Amino acid sequence: MSTTTARPSDMLPGLGRKIGSLRQERRWALVTAYVSLVIAAVVMLAPPVYMLLTSLKTSAEVADLAGNPWMVHHPTLENYWAIIGNPMFRGFFYNSIIVTVAVVAVTMVISVLAAFALARMKFFGSQVLATGVFLTYLVPDTLLFIPLYQIVGGLGLLNSIWGLVLVYPTLTVPFCTWIMIGYFASIPKELDEAALIDGANWMQMLTKIFIPVALPGIIAATIFAFTVSWAAFVYPTAFITQPDSMPLTIGVVSQLIRGDTFAWGQLMAGALIAALPPVVVYAFLMDYYIAGLTAGATKG
Amino acid sequence: MTTNGTTRRTVLRSGAGVAAAGVLGAPMVHAQGTAGSLRFAFWDHWVPGGNDALKLLCAQWGERNRVTVALDFINTTGNQLQLTAAAQAQSRSGHDGISLTPWDVGAYADKLEPVDDVIGRLVAKYGAINPVAEFLAKHGGKWLGVPATSGTQNKPACVRYDLMLEHAGIDVRAMWPASNTRGPGADTWTWDTFLVAAEKCHKAGFPFGLPMGQFTDAVDWVGALFLSYGAHITDASGKPTVRGNAKLKTAIEYAVRLSRFLPNDVWAWDDASNNRALISGRSALVFNPPSAWAVAKRDAPQVAEKCWTIPMPSGPEGRFIAYLPWTTGIWNFGRNKTAAKEMLEFLSQRESAEATTIKSGGYDIPPFASMSDFKVWETEGPPVGSVFNYPLKPHHQAQPSIAFSPAPAELASQMYIQALNTKVIARVAQGGETVDSAMAWLEREINNMRRG
Amino acid sequence: MASDSNAAVLAARPVGAPAPGSAMKRFARRRSTIAFLMTLPLIAVIAGLVAWPAGYAIYLATLNRRMTAFIGLENFDILLDNETFRAVIWQSCFFAITAVLLKALIGFWLAHMLHHIPAKGQRKWRGMLLVPWVIPPALSTLGWWWMFEPSYSSINFLINAIGFPSIPWLGEPWWARVSVIIVNVWYGAPFFMIMYLAALKSVPDQLYEAAAIDGATGWQGLRHITLPMMRNIISITVLFSLIVTFANYDIVRVLTNGGPRDLTHVFASYAFQVGVLSGNIPRGAAVSLFMFPLLAFIAYFVLKGVNQRNKEMA
Repeated sequence: MSTTTARPSDMLPGLGRKIGSLRQERRWALVTAYVSLVIAAVVMLAPPVYMLLTSLKTSAEVADLAGNPWMVHHPTLENYWAIIGNPMFRGFFYNSIIVTVAVVAVTMVISVLAAFALARMKFFGSQVLATGVFLTYLVPDTLLFIPLYQIVGGLGLLNSIWGLVLVYPTLTVPFCTWIMIGYFASIPKELDEAALIDGANWMQMLTKIFIPVALPGIIAATIFAFTVSWAAFVYPTAFITQPDSMPLTIGVVSQLIRGDTFAWGQLMAGALIAALPPVVVYAFLMDYYIAGLTAGATKG
Repeated sequence: MTTNGTTRRTVLRSGAGVAAAGVLGAPMVHAQGTAGSLRFAFWDHWVPGGNDALKLLCAQWGERNRVTVALDFINTTGNQLQLTAAAQAQSRSGHDGISLTPWDVGAYADKLEPVDDVIGRLVAKYGAINPVAEFLAKHGGKWLGVPATSGTQNKPACVRYDLMLEHAGIDVRAMWPASNTRGPGADTWTWDTFLVAAEKCHKAGFPFGLPMGQFTDAVDWVGALFLSYGAHITDASGKPTVRGNAKLKTAIEYAVRLSRFLPNDVWAWDDASNNRALISGRSALVFNPPSAWAVAKRDAPQVAEKCWTIPMPSGPEGRFIAYLPWTTGIWNFGRNKTAAKEMLEFLSQRESAEATTIKSGGYDIPPFASMSDFKVWETEGPPVGSVFNYPLKPHHQAQPSIAFSPAPAELASQMYIQALNTKVIARVAQGGETVDSAMAWLEREINNMRRG
Repeated sequence: MASDSNAAVLAARPVGAPAPGSAMKRFARRRSTIAFLMTLPLIAVIAGLVAWPAGYAIYLATLNRRMTAFIGLENFDILLDNETFRAVIWQSCFFAITAVLLKALIGFWLAHMLHHIPAKGQRKWRGMLLVPWVIPPALSTLGWWWMFEPSYSSINFLINAIGFPSIPWLGEPWWARVSVIIVNVWYGAPFFMIMYLAALKSVPDQLYEAAAIDGATGWQGLRHITLPMMRNIISITVLFSLIVTFANYDIVRVLTNGGPRDLTHVFASYAFQVGVLSGNIPRGAAVSLFMFPLLAFIAYFVLKGVNQRNKEMA
């Protein structure tokens, strides 16, 4: 390293000085970078860490104002045992899993089919539809939930997890379709032509070529659908008011917050357990997801 | 750890009452029956174990009448229960009966089944229903719901008697002893006395924990304060009576003065903030049902044993106690309305009401004055007698109150949700407006609500 | 989380389908039918679960309180006449613009800092900084709420420890607004960071090297190389985040419930309060519909940006 930088400076003394100052600049930049990152990490991690600390305290310790709230003096797992041992909470978990799996499956089927058609088969109205997919985001769910209540209620699906399976695709399908359109559009046309020459039909083209080639995109879209379904809040708040059909997020928030009494320890323990699956997914698949999200962004 | 275990057992005993607690863990009660089925949505009680009484009673009633009864307990966190009612009223489907918040009975008047027959029999047996519950449940001359016991609450003052004595020189236990008598100084328990005490406790570092935000605790106590000054913001037709209303101005000015001695963030307190203020030991007084004290028993027993519940102070126009009644309504689109009525009648019997009150640790208040003598209020503790004065008793010389009466339900419901009474105070105390401009705002706001 | 990320994909996706290759011409006749069948589920979702309910909401907004009579635009008139609602308009705009700008600035800064450190450490830091974005926001907001709680605030504990008085986080209107913005920025900035980091990585190093040899400072490099290269992704993420932040509901609801004195309400939370809680569904629908023109305005610029970018790419 030192030799490579030394050589040009032998030839051009002026440049050598410049490189010296550059190095110093770089060192400073590095220090600034680490300082910024440490501060950012502290701020970003403080709330979850504090939630964790609270979840390890007894109610009495939470209520005690004398000590440092950032310390746990008598750590206990009783909040976690209470939550895990609560059949209602386990019910929330099952509901979340069922809803999420169903929504992810439905979303992926709809999105992949539609994206394939939109990316490769120009047909009457395809342009309008693609724009429509985009505009779908702009209708906020707080505007939709009253009319949707009528629809879901008319189908007799209120207080049923299948009602959620019905409406969650409004949150997941448009975005996943976008991801897939992008991935499919980036597949070279020569591949299609080769397949057509081999006599493949559209379905075979999709399953044999497009899906395998666009697998990273499919993984990214799947993670996205999973995350959204898992974290959805407005719709379950409106459509589910009965504990036995509640998914995890709303279950934790509604059943552990009691209007004028709070079990903060259990609340935080429940929130952390509920947040665990997405965190685990990210821990293992973060690179796929980020690559999927940013692939498009970085192309131009 | 051992102390912790002991306290939790104590809570279980006192909070869950005499019967074995936790027998029914599931949210639903099924009693196999042949005479149809009923599905009710009740308020999910804040007191741990508070739902058990309804579960037991409904199961009992269902077995006896061979009706399958399913209960859902719905929380008011995020207004889920209100949302459920709104959605069911709109879609004309859902439960057979549902717990309704005070003003919602009037708001859904055209979708509720009249229950005059039930009320008639109950009144004949137990005497009159209190006027506020009647005002809220009776519309167009018809009873549209049965005033409930479970969840219905008063919000008298829960006082740290030690702090009050030390810093304000008021012995609340002597003033309002655990017996049906007024102690020395009870006549001086006025808002003026209260203001002085608030100032002293504030100086001592234990400010009163009185919320001034938009949640029910805040709206309810300010509503009672206004009424005790004779301050009404509308008449019975909903016409604003704000302009030139000297009583209203006095009440607002009083509240503004009082707010100077409260913690500086009371404007954003929710229903739990005052409880936490009490439990943390930082507050000498809150207006709340005994749930704050019940949680203190679990989390901060040293605080709980210094708590004493007394009526709210009186004003120039009398003593009013903040009262938050639940009413159980029966949807007129339900399929089994007769059975629903019968079950509500059963739940309103004295024995049922007492069971409900016991299970809630004394929290629940029956709508009949004749039922203000349940033993549970005498025996709950520590300190024993702490909640003796929680239900409204004759010697309090007080009336229950609901904020914004006598406005028509539809308007009152909006004013209640939008917390107009605390906001008008906040505009002066926090926003720096003059009382007159805040009152002008109030009038504009009411007029705007009345449109459309 | 969901919609924030949409920006990324939009940044590079053509709106509409690319023309098919010439070899596919023989499929032309059957293709339309097959394509239509393939997109049918998507059409059903959009038409049945978005378009129709949205139209129904418009219809609702023209009804009176009891939904028994048609009153035209009366609800909108009433709302505009109401000073609380006028404040809500202002607050929504202020909240969305401030939060998005801060998210973008912090995201950009962090992305830059991450880009500067050695590559092998980046993954670890990125993972840590992404945590806020991974936790479902309804749950993490609960944690924040607990940290802001007046009696037990752990943040005030730290502030007191360094000798400053407690802050009434949720009690004083400006602090309450700041709190809402803090939580939103905390939650959203990591996403911007990820997007900008990816964009930074795509800027060829040679450009900076060339600039350095020309004697450009770091700042000049940023201004003349980085920003122009990232212009499009920045504008699209910002516009899209504006929409999401604008329609945000849960943070305000959990943290402040609109208080104190309605001074932290945004459209969504106010619509909820007026429409559902006060039982005036038509007026609540009208409040939500006020978001439409603003969203359409933003949407127009996003579409324009996307199309322009596609042209540049082509």
